[in-house]
Amino acid sequence: MNAPMQTGEIFEILSSGQFICSNSAEARISKLYDIIDENEKYELLYDYFSAIGFLLEKGDEFYYFSRKNESKADLERKLETACKWIDVLDFFKTFDNAFVSGYSFTTQEIVVQIKVDAVLKSKADGLRKVFKLDDKTPYNEVIIKVTESLCKDGFAEIENEILKSYKILSSFKYLEELVTNINIPEEVQNEIPE
Amino acid sequence: MIAEMFEKRKLPSYRYDYAVELMENNEDVIRLLLSKNIIVQNGAYIELDNQFLNFFEGILEVNEEINTSYINENIQQVKEYATYYLQSNSEAERFRYLRNVKSVLQKIGRSTLRNIVDLNRNIDNAFKTEPNYKIKLTKLENYKRKLESIQTLIEQTERLLREEEETFFKLATDEGLKEVRTQLILDLTESRQNLIETRQQIIEYINQIKYQSKFIEKLKQLKYLRDQFEIKHKTNIREVLSHNNAIIFEPKPSYKLKLSIDNLGKDENRQLIIKVRNRYKSAINPTKQLAENLTSKDLELETVKEIYIDLHRVRNDFKQSGSDLFGFLMNYQFVRELSFEERVTVFCQIISMFENELELTDNYLKQNNIEYAVVYPK
Repeated sequence: MNAPMQTGEIFEILSSGQFICSNSAEARISKLYDIIDENEKYELLYDYFSAIGFLLEKGDEFYYFSRKNESKADLERKLETACKWIDVLDFFKTFDNAFVSGYSFTTQEIVVQIKVDAVLKSKADGLRKVFKLDDKTPYNEVIIKVTESLCKDGFAEIENEILKSYKILSSFKYLEELVTNINIPEEVQNEIPE
Repeated sequence: MIAEMFEKRKLPSYRYDYAVELMENNEDVIRLLLSKNIIVQNGAYIELDNQFLNFFEGILEVNEEINTSYINENIQQVKEYATYYLQSNSEAERFRYLRNVKSVLQKIGRSTLRNIVDLNRNIDNAFKTEPNYKIKLTKLENYKRKLESIQTLIEQTERLLREEEETFFKLATDEGLKEVRTQLILDLTESRQNLIETRQQIIEYINQIKYQSKFIEKLKQLKYLRDQFEIKHKTNIREVLSHNNAIIFEPKPSYKLKLSIDNLGKDENRQLIIKVRNRYKSAINPTKQLAENLTSKDLELETVKEIYIDLHRVRNDFKQSGSDLFGFLMNYQFVRELSFEERVTVFCQIISMFENELELTDNYLKQNNIEYAVVYPK
């Protein structure tokens, strides 16, 4: 059996560090997900990409690439990225505990919440530093910037341009898994205040 | 109005004014209801009397709370009536107890099913709408306990029907009772099956919440360590990341491919090349210099006056004069004053232009160091 005709498209998306999610509102992406998700196709594509040095990884309702050999990003860069994600994740989870795949929100909602929630506000202030924004940047812009970075990394997508509403994609679980995989030794856990 | 108040029973308060407005300012009705204790007044607010509220909820089967004690009570009642039935001697009394048992049994079946429906809805609501994780978890744990008590009640009822009151059911040979009993057994079986489903659902919800709250706790710890700059040393994040070769960590690649020469030669790509070329040119050629605007002075008409000596006219005048050309020119009144040299030039010009019309003699005269031929008209 030959590789499906969408192989090029799949490669294009995945090799740029994006995800292919089942719950993407973009019909093109969710269709690609369905194509990969067919049992035999997955194996075929896995072998195909494996031959050119990419591993087609299967997450819970999403696909992504990882490199077969040593990653081209050094540890320092990975750490920096991961720490940024922890900050962003922590911020959104503070905004709403139920901030998971499928969640839908507008940046304005968060800005309103910042006005009444001091914890969230201080976290938003912290994000300014992470995203190298000026101290006087309005919260509105900070949130847009953070949300856009979430979209750029492929964890969210814009749902409605006019209302500026965004949707969290299933790839968000990748972040959650990453956090779950990090182990904090028990004695360190005891040191951390509640 | 009562319907309206009943619909709003979940709101903390229903204002007296609203009621008056609703009754189109007819306060008599409200007063009547108040005097009959159907509604009670509490300051500016009124509410339905609790007894009536329960009655309506019971009739309409819309209760939200799950009441297991109610079923329990019913079971006790069945037991009591069954005992009375067995002890009673009069047929009429027996009939009355039998009727009571039947109605209570029917009630048990109905309220069990209703309780399960309510329970399902409450579980769903708690899971989906309760924002506080701790309350959500406690609520679900409570529902789980309720679910278990409903289950025990079902078992109890079944025992009651099959074992405990066997004598009663055997002795009371009433068709209606048999039917009610069978219906109840069927209801209970259905309820039990429903409960199995509900139990799975609730366990799944609880697990999800536990996972989420555990996750959030972990995230908070990681964030704390990150803020303290200890994350690298106190967790295995380095190890986790060094094994993670996901492309997402890498900078976005750009593939610099060489252009296909063959393709560039094709006609359809010409437009594209021109477009690119224009863009490229405009990048290095900044603004073009424009000439300055014309001033009003530049727009003024400028004429150069040149005094033209009409040689033809000079010749005609000369022909009529009859004197020699040189002498004629020296005294001729030109349109402007001519110098001696200029007059000599005109002399030469006329000779060269109208040579055929003139007669050049061999006589030469001299004036101002210039020797000239004496010329007459022919």
